Amino acid sequence: LPGQSEREKGERKRIRLHAADWARPTCKRLSWACSQSWWAGPSSFPSLFHLSASRVSRPPTATSTRGPSSLPPQAARQPPGRRGEASRTDAMSSPSPLCAASGSTALRAPPPLLRFRRPAAAVSASVARAAPAVSDDLVLRIAEQLEDSVTSSSPLLDPLRSASALSLLSTPWPTRRSSEAFRFTDISYLRSFPISLPSRAPDLAPPASPFPSHVHFSDGLLVSASGAHVSSLADLPPGRARDRAAAALAASAEFAHKDLFYDFNAVGARDVVVVHVPEGVKVADDPVQIMFTYTNCGAESMLMSNPRILVVAEKEAEVAIVEEHFGAGEEGGCYWANPVAEIIIDAGARVVHSYVQRQSFAAAHTKWTVVQQDTSSKYEFVEVSTGAKLNRHNLHIQQLGPETETELSTLHLTSQNKQIHDLHSKLILDHPRGFSRQLHKCIACGAGNSIFDGNIKVNRYAQQTDAGQETKCLVLSPKALVNVKPNLQIIADDVKCTHGAAISGDLDPNELFYFQARGIKTDTATDALLYFFGAHVIKRIPFKPVNEKALAQFKELLASSRQMTNEALLS
Amino acid sequence: MAPPLAAVSSSSPLFSPSSSRPLVRRHAPPSYVSMRTRGRSQPAAAAAAAESSGSPLLEVRGLTASVKETGQQILAGVDLTIREGEIHAIMGKNGSGKSTLTKFYLCKTNRDHAHCSGTCMFNQVFVFDLQVLVGHPHYKVTGGTILFKGEDLVDMEPEERSLAGLFMSFQAPIEIPGVSNFDFLLMAVNARREKSGLPALGPLEFYSVVSPKVDALKMDPKFLDRNVNEGFSGGERKRNEILQLSVIGADLALLDEIDSGLDVDALEDVANAVNGLLTPQNSVLMITHYQRLLDLIKPSYVHIMENGKIIKTGDSSIATQINEGGFKSIALV
Repeated sequence: LPGQSEREKGERKRIRLHAADWARPTCKRLSWACSQSWWAGPSSFPSLFHLSASRVSRPPTATSTRGPSSLPPQAARQPPGRRGEASRTDAMSSPSPLCAASGSTALRAPPPLLRFRRPAAAVSASVARAAPAVSDDLVLRIAEQLEDSVTSSSPLLDPLRSASALSLLSTPWPTRRSSEAFRFTDISYLRSFPISLPSRAPDLAPPASPFPSHVHFSDGLLVSASGAHVSSLADLPPGRARDRAAAALAASAEFAHKDLFYDFNAVGARDVVVVHVPEGVKVADDPVQIMFTYTNCGAESMLMSNPRILVVAEKEAEVAIVEEHFGAGEEGGCYWANPVAEIIIDAGARVVHSYVQRQSFAAAHTKWTVVQQDTSSKYEFVEVSTGAKLNRHNLHIQQLGPETETELSTLHLTSQNKQIHDLHSKLILDHPRGFSRQLHKCIACGAGNSIFDGNIKVNRYAQQTDAGQETKCLVLSPKALVNVKPNLQIIADDVKCTHGAAISGDLDPNELFYFQARGIKTDTATDALLYFFGAHVIKRIPFKPVNEKALAQFKELLASSRQMTNEALLS
Repeated sequence: MAPPLAAVSSSSPLFSPSSSRPLVRRHAPPSYVSMRTRGRSQPAAAAAAAESSGSPLLEVRGLTASVKETGQQILAGVDLTIREGEIHAIMGKNGSGKSTLTKFYLCKTNRDHAHCSGTCMFNQVFVFDLQVLVGHPHYKVTGGTILFKGEDLVDMEPEERSLAGLFMSFQAPIEIPGVSNFDFLLMAVNARREKSGLPALGPLEFYSVVSPKVDALKMDPKFLDRNVNEGFSGGERKRNEILQLSVIGADLALLDEIDSGLDVDALEDVANAVNGLLTPQNSVLMITHYQRLLDLIKPSYVHIMENGKIIKTGDSSIATQINEGGFKSIALV
């Protein structure tokens, strides 16, 4: 087609090969692949479906060469929809009405095994270079569903969506053996139910907020956004905020350290809430409270939500955000929350970010927080995670200028059996005189699993960095498991970096004795010490209502888990 | 003078006719107790009190104790009586384990304690530790009794002992991150109030109770919000201990080397606080090396410990003697 670059041609060709070569038995598979090549013509599909229904094939193994492959005879019938190709944005805005009509989102049976057609002839080198290794069945299925569910989205999101869609084509579902980032984390819970997507926001009353600026996401869909500097992406008037948002989203398309959950969110996010604080405006005392409520609609499926927020703090601005994730439906709702928060902090700005996660105990919560800090900026982050059966937080902070300050504090409490809490944090320092402190505390009761991978990269030009990392874990029961991997990768040679990890099975006996020596009974002292262990982090949240609520909930969970252990001991 | 003398020499086990302390009989009993002004009670009243005999708060009879793990004996028959209203001081060489005796007062179960005074028990053949009295888990009582207000201490849990009115200040107080000083004090005070059936104090009321005491010790009020002992120097920790004593209150306070790490001014403040807390009903047992604390808090009795026993008891003139001539000057002569 005229006007297309060589690379694009190659990509399209590759995608076409994929689509045709391992046509899945589901027509949706093809429609997904086709729509990713931005072929909009509905007329193309029937023939492809026809094609696909007649042959099933097994996805190729990673070792086989994917790119240069001969076209199997049937696939030589190129989808005529290619003619319908227009510019990217056009295609994106009308994502194959057929897809929408594709029907239910039920799980299909996995394809039966068939002989795999080995590729034969070679194609151009460019295609070979761009060829991905493998495309995962489950990933594509979910991506397809997500893509279908987004009927209209702001054009500003397009570059992000397409980049993520592209990468999803070649991202395998991470397993503990194949992916280092998931070495300790068992994410099989995400596969236990088929995914369903919310069609519209449920009619639940929005939760009350003590703060004037608040945002409410219900099941990933933006319900309300009110506040001076808060707006949804679609409602942003043209101006500075919109430009910054557009630039930020375009830049997110090039985020190199992402994983498939980030991509899922990019593809499935319908709207983005933008908190844009103009230059010099200091509103750190009036936080923007962003509440994410989740429900589950069916017992047979997992409702997946992909809310996304973008915070831009211009030069010398100060803003505070409070993120709260909790279940709003009945107890024990089973859903998958996949939020992404992007925070851009310009020179001299300050962002105070409090994040409280108390999802239902049958929910999965995979979150990304991506932060960029410019010169002399401050980022203070406090996380309190007590809910969710599978909780994975990826925290990525990139330093873009010298003299930044980063303070991270996290508290994880696994109080239920088989609860998994995971924090994978990555702080990349490329500029001198950065200051950072990270404190991670976790209490593992019951048969829970807590994972911490704290990575700090001090690169060559990050001289005179002062980085400290401390992790303290309490393993309170014989079945609890804690995996801790503090790692500092230091290339600069004039730095001050410390890291410490303490995993103990019991509270410090000296501290306990100190309490006893002052007349406080052992039981009370143990409870108090456990409470204060966690409160040390929770108290760092600067806003009283949030703070107190989190403390109260933490206390309650500790009491209930203590009761559980007592009962277990007695029985 | 006669009545105190008589009272002291006949009934007090301090001067029991054991062969291990021939010196005791020869040594004049503290004759100046009633004359010396401590600034808190009338001399006459003190004499009268001694005569009417403040009931013994702490009675230690023939206490022998050994290290749990090695079986090494560390206390070889300690006899000590502390009555209400008395101030006792124990001095001894380094490593004579004075502190351990106090540990026995408080500790019970077998746990490793950082506040152990250190190398004491492993250096000498018969070292003894005062902390045995506190109930330190390293040590077990092999014989003798410890009675506090008539109750046997050995069977009591550390918190019970504390609630009974025994306060031990640690030689090296640890820090407790995450617990603020205020919360800690509030919990301790409420534990006591609960025991005596009083309603627990709320934070606001408690604040009004605590802040005058903080001011009296000349400490920065902001320190109440800081975590217990976090970032405190040694001297500040000791001051914190005394603050706890003044807030919580005690019948018998065991002050383990409260003077170490304090500068002159701080020491004066602390000594004033302790003196201010003394009443005819409560007593203090101090452990120290130096004369200067004894100049500020005048003891009624000074004991010298060595090798697991109290080898000498007297008044503060012994302390002066040691200060001038060293421990050898008062050796069993």
